[in-house]
Formats: sequence, structure tokens, C-alpha cells
Amino acid sequence: MARYLLRVNGERREVDVDGDTPLLWVLRDELGLTGVKYGCGVGLCGACTSHVDGAAARPCVRTAADSAQTRITTIEGLSRDGDHPVQRAWRELDVAQCGYCQPGQVMAAAALLARDPDPDDAAIEEALRDNVCRCGSYPRIRDAVRRASRIMREER
Amino acid sequence: MISRRTLLRGAGIGALVVAVPVPALAAEGLVPNVFVRLDDAGRITATVPRPDTGQGVRTVVALMVAEELAVEAGDVALEQAHGDTERFGSQAVANSTSVRQLATPIRTAAATARCLLVTAAARRWRVPVAECVAKDGAVCHPRRGKLPYRALVRAAAALDPATVPVELTPPEKWRLLGKTRGGRVDARDVVTGRTGYGIDARPPGGLVAVVARPPWIGAVPDTVDDTATRALPGVLDVLTLTAPAEGQGGVAVIARSTHQALRGRDALRITWRGGTPTADSRAWLADLRSALPAQSPIDGVQQIYSMPLLAHAPMEPMNATAHVRPDGLTIWAPTQDPGGLRTQLARQLGVPATSVRVETTASGGAFGRRIEPDPVLEAVACSRRAGAPVQVLWTRADDMRNDSYRPMSVHRLSAEIGSDGVPIRRAHEVVTWPLTVLPFFANPALIKASGDHFPYTVPGDVSVIVRPAPLRTGFWRSVYAGQFVYAEENFLSEIGRRSGLDQVALRRSLLPAGSRLHKVLDTVAEQARWTRPPAPGTSRGVACLEDYGSAIAVIAVAEPESRRVLRVHAAVDVGVALHPSGVRAQVEGCVIDALSTVLGAQITVREGGVAESSFGDYRWARIGQTPDIDVTIVPSNAPLGGLGELAYPPAAAAIASAIAGDTPVTSMPFGTAVG
Repeated sequence: MARYLLRVNGERREVDVDGDTPLLWVLRDELGLTGVKYGCGVGLCGACTSHVDGAAARPCVRTAADSAQTRITTIEGLSRDGDHPVQRAWRELDVAQCGYCQPGQVMAAAALLARDPDPDDAAIEEALRDNVCRCGSYPRIRDAVRRASRIMREER
Repeated sequence: MISRRTLLRGAGIGALVVAVPVPALAAEGLVPNVFVRLDDAGRITATVPRPDTGQGVRTVVALMVAEELAVEAGDVALEQAHGDTERFGSQAVANSTSVRQLATPIRTAAATARCLLVTAAARRWRVPVAECVAKDGAVCHPRRGKLPYRALVRAAAALDPATVPVELTPPEKWRLLGKTRGGRVDARDVVTGRTGYGIDARPPGGLVAVVARPPWIGAVPDTVDDTATRALPGVLDVLTLTAPAEGQGGVAVIARSTHQALRGRDALRITWRGGTPTADSRAWLADLRSALPAQSPIDGVQQIYSMPLLAHAPMEPMNATAHVRPDGLTIWAPTQDPGGLRTQLARQLGVPATSVRVETTASGGAFGRRIEPDPVLEAVACSRRAGAPVQVLWTRADDMRNDSYRPMSVHRLSAEIGSDGVPIRRAHEVVTWPLTVLPFFANPALIKASGDHFPYTVPGDVSVIVRPAPLRTGFWRSVYAGQFVYAEENFLSEIGRRSGLDQVALRRSLLPAGSRLHKVLDTVAEQARWTRPPAPGTSRGVACLEDYGSAIAVIAVAEPESRRVLRVHAAVDVGVALHPSGVRAQVEGCVIDALSTVLGAQITVREGGVAESSFGDYRWARIGQTPDIDVTIVPSNAPLGGLGELAYPPAAAAIASAIAGDTPVTSMPFGTAVG
């Protein structure tokens, strides 16, 4: 066990864990950030997608030791009030069914739009390729990313 | 006015509580089970008796209550019911019944509350009830003004409901139900990560357990060396679980955190015995094929279809949390049946049901898997041992390799073809396995009833041969209809192709005029512009299904060369579409399931164990493979129908036919070895 200083959702958080503990379990078990979802543990499903230094990343395949001094944003920290354009678009288009994969989908979409404000279908499909939705909300996800892009444009 | 037996009870001073029995249970006596409650402040709370596994039942309940009480859906606070069949009736989410069975009692409960409030206002104003209306959380009168519900709750609760006529709001006056605006009531929680799924249940002092599971089917631990495991930090205990009372069996490691439990499991040294270490799903398929009778009943056109094992693989892996105390136990579980689970636990543990509390969490998908209690039984065993709350978490590989799979099956279809190329007699011989999770599902008549929904006017026979299941099998969305309809519709398409017939016209000619299927087929043909020839390089498939009290027709358009599905059109008659966005979502979800299973997702068994372990090798569709999906809701006078499973079988058949182009479909997945 060792102490690691993490920067999560704008706060400095200290955790006392083994260095090889996956960041996913640090966030969920130690910091109570349960919006970060466990789906596969091996980087294949995207349910835990969060932002590390502003880019989409998979906390299940990063360790606590890797994450010291990085800037981590989870779904809980994406916006103050749940009104990030991606979150609004997701609600407008009634995207979610069971909702379990959606925090990861939302974070992947937000990271995409941060670097490419007007992605075409190919860019959307590339960015969300490894975010699995077992309920089959993909058509609405695709539309909601486009809608979020429009909201961001209108409000710029 | 509607006939009813209504119970009205005051729960706390001034509160208005309306309970109406679910009709299916009325024969068993007066069993109040669905509650709509107004408190002194006029706040409306509805209890959702059945779990929401993604099908949207919470939203439909909120809409129904808000509609009848003349408020917005957001004004209705929702409470998810804990397991209690005596209060709530059946709480099982199964066979696409939730909305069908809840609509009348919940709408009636809310309408009763509204009528009582209106009557109370009319009496206070000394005006005729007919002059008063409920609107925006108040009762209004053209001259007397308005009284908010909170001012009427006590007076309404004092009325005898038997003296107050109750009328449901008729569909032509609906403001919320049947409208396209408005999404899921839980959408904000979902996109902010606040929804509490089973995996998020962490009661104070809670521990985590993971289970080392059999490396091949049926294996049990022989020797367990847990020395290294027990030496690891955070590991508290190791115990052997015995199936079936303690789940599927294995060796559980209980630790303070998930990572510590996982590391503890890695350090176990277990030898296993028994089971079937050489089992292979290719041999199972061969066994099913060899069980077909030597001769088909019809000497004519013939085709054999092979269907794979499928896993449920919900995004939230199996898990359950239990806290066993001396005076009872509490379960937190993403279950499809909280009431049934409570009853089973009480019986199995020999304790009164009143000492078992089952809290229903949100559920990250279910698809039939969460009707089973095995993760809960594991959690109970671990918590009893630890004397603390324990969450048992299955890893993705645990989940995929220890599922209750959709059974493999082989279907031989034969038909005698008339002079116009249309089938005039048919035979469908099925060889498959039972559903081991529900022993009475070994009955061939039951399997036939689940799978056989052939809607076309071609006389013939369906026969089912049941072989022993070599592994756990269970309910997978649409159950046996997924296999039966796939075989039947692809066979009909093959006949149509051989005879040079138009696939829509062929089906149209075989459906009774004026039937629901006739109408949805005509609608979808128009949507897909069927009468225009397909674009070069594209091919189309069509299929129909009437089941669950609903009817659907699907047309898929694909490029056989690239195996890319471009568009899927569906026209659906669900009787009354209470939440159209939710109706479309269910069809879209079934289409993605169909796409995934036709394009390559299947479970295989090698050397006794399931080969696939995650979404890398269980090839579920991704966003880039997603076709445009165009769903039309056909206006209908039919009673409210079910929907969660309806679209999967015909969507799979239509997609396979479209991708196949001019080649016959003989398997699911299409063009891939099965098993």
C-alpha cells in the first residue's frame, strides 16, 4: 500500500492503495465515484470511459501509480449541473435505455467534441467504436453527438 | 365508468393512498398492490412494482399517473418497490408483460385519486362535480376559481371511494401518454452517473467477494489451497460455495475492496473434478442434427437451420449484495423479479418472508438473465460467513462463461409447393434443449408454444424433440421464438426466391385480409418503398411476427458483398403506444440484437468451457455497424400489447435474408460455422 495524490474532478484526493490497483477501482471503491462503470475490466467495452488530461481514457486499464499527477475527470465532474451540451443532447433525444453504458458514452462523446467540434459520421464512429451498448441505443447516440455539436455551435 | 374493487386507506393523517388490485391476482383475493399516494403537501408519489431493466417501465408509470392526475411527469415522485408479491402482485419482468399488466391498475389508481379530489372540491364549493376539472395540480371551477390538491387531500381521503364514479382519461384527451415529447424520467440521473445500479450498492461496512468458478462445465472444487490468498492484504476469508443452494458453486474470496478480492482469487490454487472437461459445442450441434428423424414428413423443398448458443451479456455484469443478520436479511440486487426472489429466499432459508427485504436497484440490462437468483445465493452465503454486508461481483468473463445460454437448436423445414410456387403444406421439425433454469420448460409442448407463431395460412405441423441440455440454459429475449421465426421466415424467403415471387406479395397472400399483420406489412412496404427495385448491389429481406399481443413487420436492406446492413424499416402495432419514444427504443434495441447475432456473435464451447470471455470475442455490434432504423407506430384499436421481445425474431430473419442476397440462409450467425 502506498499513498497517491490524484486530481479528480478539480479536487486533490489522496488514496492509500497498492500501486497496481486499477484506477477504475480507486475511483469506485476508494472515492465513491460510482458513475464510472465496470463493464469488462480490460479496456474492451468503454463503460468506464473518463477523461485523463482532457482525453478519453479507460480507468480499468490504468493503475493508481500511472494516475498520480494526472488530471482526471469522471462523469460526476463533467458539468456542475448535468447540463453539458452532450448531457442535454442525450436527454433531448431520449438516448438511454438501461443507461449503464451511457456515462462512458457521454464522456467519449464529450472528449471527441472537445477536440473536433464538428465531427462527421466516420469520426463519431471511430471515437465511439469501442463503447459497447447492449441495449442498442447506437442510432440515438449517433444523432445525439450531432445534436450536441449543434448545441455547442449555437452557444459559442 | 369502470368496474373495480378499490381499497382506500389513510396512511398517516390526511394522506390519500389509493390501491387497486392487479386483475391477474384478483381471483386470489383482495391483494392491493399498486400505490398512488398524495401527502398533505399534495405531493404525488407512485410506486413502480416492477424493476426497470432498461425497458422504461418507470417512465410509463410516471406518465400514466401524471396523465390521470393532470400534472407533468416530473411532478410524480417514483419509488421502486421492494420485493413483496402480497402487496404488489407478480413483480417479474418477463414475457413482455410489465406495461400490459400494470396499465389498468395504475391508471385506475391515479384516476381514482383524481376523482376523489374533484369530488371533494365540488362538495366544498357546493357545485356539481361535472363543473369541476383537475388541471395542473389543482381542481378548477369556472366561477369558484381553483383549489390546489394539497388543500383537498384530507377531504378526499375521507370520502368513501365506492360512492365516487371513476373514469379513466380517454385517449383523445391525453396530454402525455401517446405523445412524442418527453423522454425517460431517469435521464438526468443516467447522464450524470447518479443512477444506482446493483453494482453501486455499498451498505456501510460492506465487503466485496469474487468467486473462482469452474474452468469447465460441471466441475467442482476438489482441493483448495488458499494459503497465498489469505496472506494478501485486504483478504478476509475464503469459502467454498456449493451449487445449487449457494449459486453455481466455486470458491469465494471475501476482501475489503474489489481489487483485493480479485488479486486474492488469482492467488488461489484449486484442483477441480467432475463435469465434462472435453465438451465441445460442435459435437453438441452434431448431436442435435443426428436426432432429427430419418425422414421428413413432407417430401418437397427442404432446408436445415443451425442456431448457436447465445449469452445475455448485459452491460452490468451479474452481481448482488446481501446483508445477513440474526433477525433477517437484506438484498440489493438488479433483479428481474424482486418478489419471486424474496419468496424463494424465505423458502430456501426457512425464514419468514417478512424477515427478507429485497431492494430493487436499477439494472444495467437483463434480457432474461436476471430472472435467476444465482448471484444472490452467492452473496447470501458470503454475507452469512462474513457477518457483514457482502457484494458478490462477477467479472465480465465470469458473466460470459457462467451464463444461462440461449439453447442451440436445429430446425428442418420442409414444404410442398403448389403450382403457383406458393407453399401449400409445411413441416417444421425442431431439435433443441430445454431451459434448465426452469425445469418444467423441458416440456416439448411448452417449447412449441414459446417458439411457434407461424402466422401464414399454410397448414402443417411443428414437432419438437428435446435433447438433454449439456450446460445451463435460460430465457433469452424472445425465448424460442428467436430460433423458430428465424428458420421459418428464412425458409419462406428461400421458397419465394426459388419460385421467383415477390417476398411481400407472397406473405401478403398468406395472411388473412384485414389482419394486424396485413396492415403492418403494407405499412412497412410503403416505408421501404418496396415496389421500387432495390438499388444496385443491395438486397432486401422481410419478416413478420405477431406475439405478445402485438404485431410487427420488418424490412431490412443490405449490401451482401460488404455484409453491411444499410437500413431497417419496421412497422409495429402495439395496440396503444403509451410512450412512443420507448416503443421505438425497444424496436431499435431488438434490431441491434438481431444485427449482432446474425453478423457473428455466438458462444462456443471448447475443452469443456466457454471460449468467449468479453466483448472482444463475443462480437456484439458497434456503432459503426448500425443501420438507419425507421420505426412506424401503426394506429390501432387493439388492446395494449407487449413489445420488449417482439422485434428481435423478425428483425434477425429479415437482416439475414437481406445480407444473404441470392444464397440461402442456413445458420445463425449467417455464413459462419455454428458451435
